[in-house]
Amino acid sequence: MVQIVVRGSVDGSSPPEWLLVELQGEVITRHNSGLAGNVMGDLLYTKEGVPVLIVGHHILYGKQVKLEKPFAVLTKHSSHSQDSLGSHDNSVITQVPMETNQQGPTSTSYSVSALIKRKLIFKTRPKPIITNVPKKV
Amino acid sequence: MRTLEEVRATLEIAKLKEEDLQKTIHCLSFGDNVSSADYCLMELDDTLCKHIEAGQSLVIRGDKDERAVLCSGDNTYDLKIADTSNLLLFVPGCRTPDQLTNSQDSSHVAHTQIWGFCNSYWELRKHRPKLKKLKKILMENPYEGPAIRGQEENTENRVKYTMEDLLERIQASEEEIKTHLETIHACQIDGYWRVLDFDYEMKLLGHVTQLVDSESWSFNKVPLQNSLEELAPLEPKEMIEHCLNCYGKRYNENDKVFYALHEDKVCRGVALMLLQNAVKFNLREFQEVWQQSVPEGMSTRLDQLKSVALVDRTSRPETICLLRVEDLPEDTLERFNHLFTLREKWTEDDITPYIQDLCGEKQTTGALLTKYARSSMQNGIKVFNSRRPVAT
Repeated sequence: MVQIVVRGSVDGSSPPEWLLVELQGEVITRHNSGLAGNVMGDLLYTKEGVPVLIVGHHILYGKQVKLEKPFAVLTKHSSHSQDSLGSHDNSVITQVPMETNQQGPTSTSYSVSALIKRKLIFKTRPKPIITNVPKKV
Repeated sequence: MRTLEEVRATLEIAKLKEEDLQKTIHCLSFGDNVSSADYCLMELDDTLCKHIEAGQSLVIRGDKDERAVLCSGDNTYDLKIADTSNLLLFVPGCRTPDQLTNSQDSSHVAHTQIWGFCNSYWELRKHRPKLKKLKKILMENPYEGPAIRGQEENTENRVKYTMEDLLERIQASEEEIKTHLETIHACQIDGYWRVLDFDYEMKLLGHVTQLVDSESWSFNKVPLQNSLEELAPLEPKEMIEHCLNCYGKRYNENDKVFYALHEDKVCRGVALMLLQNAVKFNLREFQEVWQQSVPEGMSTRLDQLKSVALVDRTSRPETICLLRVEDLPEDTLERFNHLFTLREKWTEDDITPYIQDLCGEKQTTGALLTKYARSSMQNGIKVFNSRRPVAT
């Protein structure tokens, strides 16, 4: 049987708290260049605390919500880089592409990197920002 | 990196007034190494959240053929992936309005990185641990008593399990495993966990009860020391003590150790011993023999046999047979099918002991019956039968 450890902290301390931002749909880059390193947008708060997100040519209004069930953010660690364990969402669980020869060098473990207790969720339809308003004649 | 001027320009185009906004503006960008494979999200319940806040670890256990489960020190959860159509971004450095100090007079940009994203997460559901396998693997090599002098215990080559071995094979937390080991009367011999062969366990119980009767001790006050001395010629002391631990409660009085034998457990043990030998028994005859076989002063009652024996009150004469819940399938649907194959219609009283262990957290046997069975009235009593045709 496979046993995979999800490590807590070394010193018994609580992991840090991160914020989750939830968006409907996907974010793609203009030139399909991949997301890494790119600016996504600006996040502002109104004086009343309403979060506002400006992404590209869209403006989205959201709200801050406390999660009914908090999340733990797990980071995967493989001690063996040549095994392709696949992307995280089909490794480990059921149909296991994992090596089960327990004494083997492929040992995967997880550690808890953070806890998430709140999120900003943007569910409303993004409004387009019109840059050129035709002047009234 | 975006400057305040650029941000202000965007605000103007978006027709947002700076004076309506809080002073901190987060400029979000994706980190250089961001990808969806590095992180994953796991939903927690309150217990697990506290567990993690205390820095404790968890273990995921799974076999190739079994679904994976997550175990804390004392609980087991089913693991399932849930997809969401939304994009979830992790932004460690992002502050919410209540966390912003707003002490600055003018707007400023906080460059914040998105460290990861995903659109699925692991859902956890507290699950009754899969413990049936535990008894099964220990029964591969039950302990039948000490080796006969001159012979090696003939199980030298058969597999034996330590606690570590059990943790490797059973999808449950350590605490749950320990509790179950106690329930099945397993004991540690030479560091290995063993279940006793049933006949041997009954032999030990027989020695104890006969001793109690012959010494005229009250079964509530069985002295440990005397028992060990009297029975030492017959069985190892550790086994006598183990038997007393399984069937009684230990206590101290005047610096001596006594056991109060548990009436229900002893009666149940004796009943099992009697019922093992035939498929069915005449109920009245069984009850007579049973009462005669238990220690002086103990009373037998049919309700002591809930979940280990089944009474048939519709047959003439009425009968009783062995039916142990631990021998039944672990899966809920399979269990119900099996029960309905044994008997077409069940009263709630009769079936409840055989489905009690299937209840999840906050689930009642009533709810299970509503889901998996169909009810009808028979002679003024509510009975349950299968929802689908079952061969009897």
